[in-house]
Amino acid sequence: MPKIKIVTDSTAFLEEEVLERYGIEVVPLYVNFADETIKDGSIDNATYFHKLMHSAEVPTTSQPSAGDFARVFERLINSGHEVVAILISSGISGTVESARAAAKMIAPARISVVDSLSTAGGLALLVLAAARAAQEGKDREEIRALLADLKGRLKVFFVPASLKFLKKGGRIGGAQALLGTLLQIKPLLYFSGGKIEVFDRVRTMKKALARLVNELPATSEGLELFLMNAESGANIQRLKELILQRLPGLPIKTYEISPVIATHVGPVAGLAFIRQTQNTVPGV
Amino acid sequence: MTQTKKENAYLDGDDLRHMILEACSYFDLHKESINALNVFPVPDGDTGTNMGLTMRAAARELQQVETRSIGEVAAIAAHSSLMGARGNSGVILSQMFRGISRGLSGKDKARLPEFGRAFQYGIVYAYNAVSKPVEGTILTVAREIAKGSREALQTSLTFIDLLRVAIDKGRGALEQTPELLPVLKEAGVVDAGGLGLVVFLEGCLQSMLRRADAKNEIFFMEEREPPLGTMLITGKEEGPGETLSKEEFNPVFPYCTEVLIKGSNISTRKVRCNLEELGDSLLVAGEGDTVKVHIHTDHPGTVLETCLFFGSLHDLKIDNMVDQFQETRPGRLLPETGGQGVTAELETKLPAGGKGPGEQKDPGQIGVVTVSSGEGLAAIFTSLGADQVVSGGQSMNPSVQEIVEAIVALPTEQVIVLPNNSNIRLSAEQAVELVEKEVMVVDTRSVTQGLAALLALNQFQSLSENHAEMCRRARRVKTGEITYAVRAAVIDSLRVEKGDIIGISNGRLLAGGKEIDATTVALAAAMLTPEDEILTLFYGDSITGEQAQALQAQLVNKFPGLEVELQYGGQPLYYYFLLVE
Repeated sequence: MPKIKIVTDSTAFLEEEVLERYGIEVVPLYVNFADETIKDGSIDNATYFHKLMHSAEVPTTSQPSAGDFARVFERLINSGHEVVAILISSGISGTVESARAAAKMIAPARISVVDSLSTAGGLALLVLAAARAAQEGKDREEIRALLADLKGRLKVFFVPASLKFLKKGGRIGGAQALLGTLLQIKPLLYFSGGKIEVFDRVRTMKKALARLVNELPATSEGLELFLMNAESGANIQRLKELILQRLPGLPIKTYEISPVIATHVGPVAGLAFIRQTQNTVPGV
Repeated sequence: MTQTKKENAYLDGDDLRHMILEACSYFDLHKESINALNVFPVPDGDTGTNMGLTMRAAARELQQVETRSIGEVAAIAAHSSLMGARGNSGVILSQMFRGISRGLSGKDKARLPEFGRAFQYGIVYAYNAVSKPVEGTILTVAREIAKGSREALQTSLTFIDLLRVAIDKGRGALEQTPELLPVLKEAGVVDAGGLGLVVFLEGCLQSMLRRADAKNEIFFMEEREPPLGTMLITGKEEGPGETLSKEEFNPVFPYCTEVLIKGSNISTRKVRCNLEELGDSLLVAGEGDTVKVHIHTDHPGTVLETCLFFGSLHDLKIDNMVDQFQETRPGRLLPETGGQGVTAELETKLPAGGKGPGEQKDPGQIGVVTVSSGEGLAAIFTSLGADQVVSGGQSMNPSVQEIVEAIVALPTEQVIVLPNNSNIRLSAEQAVELVEKEVMVVDTRSVTQGLAALLALNQFQSLSENHAEMCRRARRVKTGEITYAVRAAVIDSLRVEKGDIIGISNGRLLAGGKEIDATTVALAAAMLTPEDEILTLFYGDSITGEQAQALQAQLVNKFPGLEVELQYGGQPLYYYFLLVE
């Protein structure tokens, strides 16, 4: 049975160490400034944020080309692997399309392209679950079925400090409705059907964080959770405290978000979680 | 009077019509005294105005009909008073008409026992209009009237006797209301709605006495006496009841004038200021290059000349509402509410949230109707996803019909109504029963509660889930109002003089003083607790932006760590609304 390789894109923003442990391949998206194009993840976040906040110009982002995927797929297929590519939601990026085009060119029967309907911490959770399944020797169909199940139970919530970046980026989905809001609000956004929608509107950050934690299950059994941070250290700290009050002892990992995602949401605090059931792979 | 005479006695449609018309006219003479019986000395004593407008809605329709059938007259009165019902007392009154109508259904004439029974129905319906009847209110008065008149039916000989007994019992019950309801006692007043009911009956009695003279018929045999119960109305001359003539219903501003102004950077505020004195029901809406004006005026030419100053004029429309009115079939829109449709139309065009500027919701979504006054608040509500803002609030409660129209105008099948005032809730609930759509009323008691509730609107949740969450949010916030005292009062051990600035929060008088700013700071201090994070201040139409900013700075200084957000509300009568979260 051919060994499965997991491919994802840079918005999952997994650490180098994790990528190496599971042999996960990453295809980067791009951030385009007028005079330069940066590969997502090739610049450290603090530097990037500084550039983003102080640049008069609004950078754009772009999906990897079909060629970018084709090169990776070709190498893996030629070395005898099959591929499961789990990618940023088609609701906010054309990355899945590029990957599908590439798969068609290289080996449609040996490559599965999975639309995560999510990104950042949510995508990372799916990629890790798939990588663990691959390591356990699950085949492509089994991994696809696992992902289909997990996708249905994945929850991704986030609170941007302001709507400015989402507005500029234009990938705002149902959050569009918030732009005319005259009253100062903290919007709670989430991924629904692969698009960014409004989950709730509250008046203060404290309430927003409490509301996020409220969405967690009552026990930490089988729960895997990532916090997502961009320039929101104090809020992440508070979020962590609130979560531990509710679910003492729960391992909490905080991920930064990639420059491409940061370009679209700006400073943000969020959380992604999946509740594993018995027929899914237990956490590491 | 003899037994024979009693048996022959009957009332027909004309009698009932005149009774209601005259009661309406008589009521108007006393409505200010009823308005003055406000528990809180705030400028929103609407009970008299509300009941008067409710009666007037019935009277208007009754003037248009020819029928002599008492059943039909009662049915028209019931329907039109319900559509025109304003405020809780107005709704209760309209329900009384509904009960009477049921009792008289199918009858051309009614004998005394039949009329008495219909009257009993009326009281039962009035009672049922309120989910949790409270003693010491109009309902206590209504019940005692019903009891008294039941006894009278066995002994009394004439309709006039019946009414006299009813009024007498009503007055007795009214005097008891302060004993039953401590807030009345503390404020030193009787229940305003109860007095309204007694005054209405006095008006009916006057009509009876007058017609007795005119018809000289067998059941009107007694000497005329001054109506009972009027001694309760202090400081008011008891005017002779006048039969309502057609002229009295002619509006002061008969021309409904609408025009679209096209120019550049037109200030809606300036347009409003310039037009304000030319009429009423003024509506100025739009932005920048296009502004729509709607006004009821007696000088449409002056209105157009004034508008011409701001740009070119388009889509002109001038209607004489008296003509319109005569063409209107019973049960249809009343002229005074004619502007409402325009409000709705214009407000959905304002840039706002929801689905984005000017976009309508899909039929499958949840629509929101809210009640508020002030253009700032309307814009905030719209930006949070309200589809229809019915104009009204403390200063003027909207009619059931206005709420019905707002609900019907929505493309959605499911609707949430935010009445934003405890005195509008019953009207909203009546409106729910009159429409085919699935509608739920969130019991919001202030515009600030309404805003807090509306934040929870979530199109991915069911109507009942939204309703539950909105109720929860509305209850969780603290709200406050700054206004002035319309009379001296001692409430919650705080003494205020007439004209003093007062601060009220969640039904309690917490601050009083001579200055707006100091009173607002005192109210905020009384409301705030350490866990509160944000105070939102909505300033009214009599406050300038600079004044509001100065107060904001004071509050920021006084309460470090608290965020103070300033918003233009534009509400009348209330200098500030406070929302604490």
